[in-house]
Amino acid sequence: MRFWERRNRCLWMAVAALLFCGLTAWAQNPAPAPATPAPAQATPAPAQAAPGPAMDTPLDVKAAQPPSTDELAKGDPGGIKTGTVSDVVAADTKKGLTLADIVNQAGQNRIAINFVWTLIAGFLVMFMQAGFALVETGLCRAKNANHTMMMNFMVYGFGLFAFWVCGFAIQMGGGAPYSTLGVINGLSSEYTINLFGKTWGLFGTHGFFMTHGGAYDVGAMVMFLFQMVFMDTALTIVTGAAAERWKFIAFAVSSVFMGAFTYPLFANWAWGGGWLSQLGANFSLGHGYCDFAGSGVVHAVGGLTALAVSLIIGPRIGKYDRSGKANAMPGHDIVLVLTGCFILAFGWFGFNPGSTLAASGNGALRIGSIAVNTMLAGCTGSFGAVLYMWMRYGKPDASMAGNGLLAGLVAITAPSGFVSTVGAAIIGVIAGVLVCLSVEFLERIIRVDDPVGAISVHGTCGLWGVISVGFFADGTSNYGGSWNGVNGSVTGLFYGDPSQLVAQLIGVGTLVGFVFAFSYVANWLIDVIVGQRVPAVDELQGLDIPEMGALGYPEFVLREEAEMGVAGD
Amino acid sequence: MKLVGILLALAGWLLPVVALTLTQSLMARFILTVVGIMITLIGILAVLNKAHLQHAIWRKG
Repeated sequence: MRFWERRNRCLWMAVAALLFCGLTAWAQNPAPAPATPAPAQATPAPAQAAPGPAMDTPLDVKAAQPPSTDELAKGDPGGIKTGTVSDVVAADTKKGLTLADIVNQAGQNRIAINFVWTLIAGFLVMFMQAGFALVETGLCRAKNANHTMMMNFMVYGFGLFAFWVCGFAIQMGGGAPYSTLGVINGLSSEYTINLFGKTWGLFGTHGFFMTHGGAYDVGAMVMFLFQMVFMDTALTIVTGAAAERWKFIAFAVSSVFMGAFTYPLFANWAWGGGWLSQLGANFSLGHGYCDFAGSGVVHAVGGLTALAVSLIIGPRIGKYDRSGKANAMPGHDIVLVLTGCFILAFGWFGFNPGSTLAASGNGALRIGSIAVNTMLAGCTGSFGAVLYMWMRYGKPDASMAGNGLLAGLVAITAPSGFVSTVGAAIIGVIAGVLVCLSVEFLERIIRVDDPVGAISVHGTCGLWGVISVGFFADGTSNYGGSWNGVNGSVTGLFYGDPSQLVAQLIGVGTLVGFVFAFSYVANWLIDVIVGQRVPAVDELQGLDIPEMGALGYPEFVLREEAEMGVAGD
Repeated sequence: MKLVGILLALAGWLLPVVALTLTQSLMARFILTVVGIMITLIGILAVLNKAHLQHAIWRKG
């Protein structure tokens, strides 16, 4: 029997090794020729061309054969009479339709498509809050269900408020122009310092309360909504790692601080025109720090803050015995967990493809590739985690399958806009294995208690996602011909640009060095002022009654840990 | 010890940032960045975490 088990394991390992080698070989293939620039940029109109019609000359719209009033009265079941020249709005109805009207309509249509795309993507990301709530609550014990759910619910409001007051201004207040959403010139004031002959952008100064400095603008509102739901995703990561022992008041203060300062500061450096994004322009490091949809900005910031809070509040009672041996504390509902994972995977289609902030122009049609990369990395992430758990423990663990899916999705978030499908698959499978190793390392080696695996999923795999851009970016993306002010496409080490890897590593250093330290100090102060951890008696009872005043499941009979085989002190 | 851990984390971050201005060599920047990340990780996972574990709830009777 043992022979067969061993043989099976060898077989699994051989299949995995072959798959990995094959995929790596595929990834090393030379990239296709760089994308050709958009025709509009490539060929200016010849100087000797005949002058076109004046922009303000009325056009003969009859030539376009618009449907008559009688025809329209009959209805349009085939959809061929709706959306014609009749629907183009003339600025001066007496004068009639002019070429200027047509051109303006074309411009507004492009921006409208981008607005709607970005808003819908933002709505999808907002729904991810429900996924996080289900995953975290399912992985916690039933006696903490109300408390865990409430943290996930209220983090939305706390984060939104803080981001509206000052977070958005710090993050995006100096990064304009945002050309896909209509430039938004109001958000163009960055606080900078001059150091060693270079300009270092530190934070934005326009957009407080969404009114200051020209932020009362339709494009700015779209940008705010999209960036706000991203910020909230980072905040909700912390609630998972600190679950079952975090004071609600401390959670509230910590979340407001993170939404107002920690997240926006790093997001400004990466996305708002700050110094990390300028590493390419200022120091010739590839295209600067590149984080397409936020493996670093969202997930690593959330994961590292989760690590800081977990260190401060310490492990749950009963997680470790007196010798330091870890005890399993299983969650109460795996159905919630896997349903939540599916909701998150669905929401990720807003997260990554939506980060183009456009569906029209600027190379935004790459959204199809980004969506496929996203689903593929999630798939290979769960595959990697299941394979690891199966080989190591003999069973395909359900919660780690879910975490593997999320790990793959987290890891592909930064590179999703720059890599091929083969790169995405490799990034995902590595993340799936990495999350299992990280969970074991945190739990058994450094003894950090993380009930849901948030630090591993978002912190570890977020950092891996950032690094992976430096390896796998294939140089085929073309978002308007440049990225972070550097012409050409983002290209990683495997495709010929080692300097991009260094830029990514400096981003990683900033995340683990600065962001962690900043979060740690802030949460240490909160610990000193209001206290981070609940009293032991409340923790043993479960936080639903002491912290929330009501049980999550009032009709359940909750058993003591000892009855469930969890060894306490 | 906690303060030492945090200072190590910050020092590990500042090393590659300052190195950006001191050298143009890509290899030197790469090495200094990796060294900086290692210093930061030692500060967090070894020094700071060890300081917290000394007072961990499971060590108390």
